[in-house]
Amino acid sequence: MSPAPLTAARVPALAAGATLLGSGGGGEVATGALLLSRELAGAPVPLLPAAALVPDTLVVHAGLVGAPDVLAERLADPDDFADAVRTAAEVVGGSAGAVGVIEIGGLNAVVAAVAAARLGLPLVDGDLMGRAFPRIDQTVAAVAGVDPAPLVLVGPGGNTVVVRECSRRLAERLLRANVLALGGAAALAVHPLPAARLAAIGVRGSVSACLGLGDRLLTARDAGGTPEGLADAVGAELLAAGRVEEIVPRQDLTPGWATLTDGRTGAVVRVDLLDEYLAVTVDGVTRAAAPQIIAAVDPSGRRPLRADQLRTGGHLILLRLPPLHTWPSDAAPLVGPLAFGLDLPPPTGPASCSGSALPTGPASCSGSALPTGPASCSGVSSRRTPS
Amino acid sequence: MVRFLPARGAVVTAVPSVADLLADPLLGGARTLAGHAGLGRPVRDVTAYRGVLDPVDGHLVLCAAEDATPAYRLDALVRRAQEAGAAALCVTADGTARPPLSAVRLADRLRIPVLWAATDAPFQLALDLTLRVRAPEVTRARTVENLLRRLATRTEGPELIAVARGVLAADVSLVTPDGGAIVGDPVVPDALRPQLAVPQRTPGLLAHPVHAVPFAGHLPGGTAPVTAWLVWPFERTDEDRADTVALGLALLEPFVRSWLAGARTRADHDSAVRRRLLAEVVTGRGTVSREVVEQAVALGWRLEDWHVGLAVHAEEPPAAGQSGTVPEPVVAALARHGVTAQAVAEGDGDWALWCSSGPRPADDEPRLLLRRVRRALAELPADWRLAAGIGRPRQGPGGLADTLTEARNAARLAAARDVRPSVEHTDELGVGRLLAAWQQSDITRAFAETALAPLRDPEHAHLLTTLRVFLEHGGSSAATARALGLHRNTVAARLRQVRERLGVPLDDPSNRLALQMACRALTTP
Repeated sequence: MSPAPLTAARVPALAAGATLLGSGGGGEVATGALLLSRELAGAPVPLLPAAALVPDTLVVHAGLVGAPDVLAERLADPDDFADAVRTAAEVVGGSAGAVGVIEIGGLNAVVAAVAAARLGLPLVDGDLMGRAFPRIDQTVAAVAGVDPAPLVLVGPGGNTVVVRECSRRLAERLLRANVLALGGAAALAVHPLPAARLAAIGVRGSVSACLGLGDRLLTARDAGGTPEGLADAVGAELLAAGRVEEIVPRQDLTPGWATLTDGRTGAVVRVDLLDEYLAVTVDGVTRAAAPQIIAAVDPSGRRPLRADQLRTGGHLILLRLPPLHTWPSDAAPLVGPLAFGLDLPPPTGPASCSGSALPTGPASCSGSALPTGPASCSGVSSRRTPS
Repeated sequence: MVRFLPARGAVVTAVPSVADLLADPLLGGARTLAGHAGLGRPVRDVTAYRGVLDPVDGHLVLCAAEDATPAYRLDALVRRAQEAGAAALCVTADGTARPPLSAVRLADRLRIPVLWAATDAPFQLALDLTLRVRAPEVTRARTVENLLRRLATRTEGPELIAVARGVLAADVSLVTPDGGAIVGDPVVPDALRPQLAVPQRTPGLLAHPVHAVPFAGHLPGGTAPVTAWLVWPFERTDEDRADTVALGLALLEPFVRSWLAGARTRADHDSAVRRRLLAEVVTGRGTVSREVVEQAVALGWRLEDWHVGLAVHAEEPPAAGQSGTVPEPVVAALARHGVTAQAVAEGDGDWALWCSSGPRPADDEPRLLLRRVRRALAELPADWRLAAGIGRPRQGPGGLADTLTEARNAARLAAARDVRPSVEHTDELGVGRLLAAWQQSDITRAFAETALAPLRDPEHAHLLTTLRVFLEHGGSSAATARALGLHRNTVAARLRQVRERLGVPLDDPSNRLALQMACRALTTP
């Protein structure tokens, strides 16, 4: 049975769920949500699983790439996404039959829906990351050995960059260089895939899961209650609830961290962070680590907090969300803590999260950290933001 | 073993605790970053962290800076050390990196001390700490050997104490039995029990007696008197370290004793030479032999200069001055007030000093000198009962003899005063000298004996004193009462008795003069 179409009424739930799934990153969702509400007014977008599409339907994945400071000041034009999707389809010699979500965490969850609405195409109920990641190669497609090309960037004024062929290794650097030339932010279309292939390798049902998660958070927000109650309501595991005592900022690619004291148990909690929350260590024991989804929620307003919104003295509820996808163990160097330069013991905790208990092994971080979403850190973004 | 109850916060523990090791010179440069609540944990062994940690009950775990880098890894390490039962975690690093707050909080929460030891030789530190904890006798033997090697080339007390302080890394001092410092810092007198001439170990103080050198006629087997103590005041220690320092003090004692004895002998010899030389200068007057001049120059005396003599007499000389030396405090007090003088002890409590200068001293110099000497003597113990006289500036060896004679006469007059210390200058004694001559004449003495006979018996001594003070204070009963600490009515009553006993009115100036002369004649030696 196919999920219900995406209507304007569901946008708040989509936005709330996407923020939670951003794991502290993924960029600011609210502006994109307003854009989507306008696009969806009177014209709902059908939501279909990849398996429900005709097998050779071409699915093009759409999103926004750039620095958050630029995105905050320059609203994206929905036509740019439509142009990018069309151009990518043309390059592979076909026409797009549906739009896919690159990452379900953060702004790109709603941006794909904006593109689908503008093109009048259905949105695939799935994504390529199962959360938010900073790099274009941190996808299930990359794990499956699928190259991202063709890669289309459409900047303001219709300036278009088409990369017909590129290796997975170079994609991130090409994006980075071209986005800089396009003024710091651009619409992206990537990974045009036949529906059958996508059904085999993609993360399934992530848009529905995002909507459900958003619904539960909004309900819990209205109900109020304890941290445990909130964790139960959104189906997550409660890691800690406490006050931020110290924030050590990141230094370029070296993660920073926030130190909390759990108000209930007195436990000492450290949250390692870069663009996203990377790991949570409670009393010296790692309790959660990427690619597990770690969410921080403001206990008073039940508002999800991004990593750049943490403030010393602020109160937090730290949750580990159920995974949308089980990463294979050999993906650890790509999406595990080592990919972010963290050498941590594997996370331990209640068995409910087996899906992402990755063994750590030798791996190297690619050294390029251009976010595919608007969740880039301010240090990188300020360099990339044209003055 | 006698175990004293801890007092004043000082602690002695059987097994070294983390805090004890921190007090040890081995970990002298270490900082405690966190987990202060666990500093009392006993340390039974030392383990170096090698990536995995087996159960290490009561061990001090040493880990390299790399194990705690990046900083967030310290969290897990703290947790693992605590779970393995470690007494403390010590990071050996040469930098001053700041630990993450989470590690500090966690260590505080788990009450496990985290130390940061700045060292560039972590293996050496591990080895030394292991020996310190597991084989304290090896550490002790090393310390003793090291101390002995260094002491062997030293002879002076301050050097000996400095070497001991360096090798033992303990604030060792040499003190007198009442706690005063000879070398180093003084100790609170009640911490020491000088009546027990044995090594002492009380909470807070380690003490070792320094015996006097046995003298001729000393009974074999008897204990020579304790002249000084070697002490180590500590805030906390364990028995191993206390044993090491105690052994060090025992080793140090003969060296210090030898220094003290040598210094004493030199001082005695020096004093005898000076006394003989001054006697030759005084008796030779203007014609001193070449040999005397050479010896004087060797002692730093400039016989041809201008001299101002200063005679000091102590009625109750301090014990140290009895052997014929001028006590060091006298010279030091004078020096503090700008009076640099040569000093010779002429007898028990009789000290001759003089200041020399090339040009003739200025006219106001004697008055200035008088003031300085008064101030200097006022700083010395009042129970020495000092009286001093100052002579006039005189030139040459003969002049030195003259000014010293003047000074002695002035000192004799000063001794007749009631107050101590009292200082007189020859120049101020024009009338005084006349009086002194009269007072010493037989006629005056005979008159005094007769005139004051009614007050001479001991039970009327207070009347004689009152009369003398009354006359010395210009016939004022009020001033007399103040000087004697009595009420004015008491003074008036006593004066009435004096009048009755003597049978002479005290308001007649001639009577007063005669009685004052008589009083002075009786009290002048």
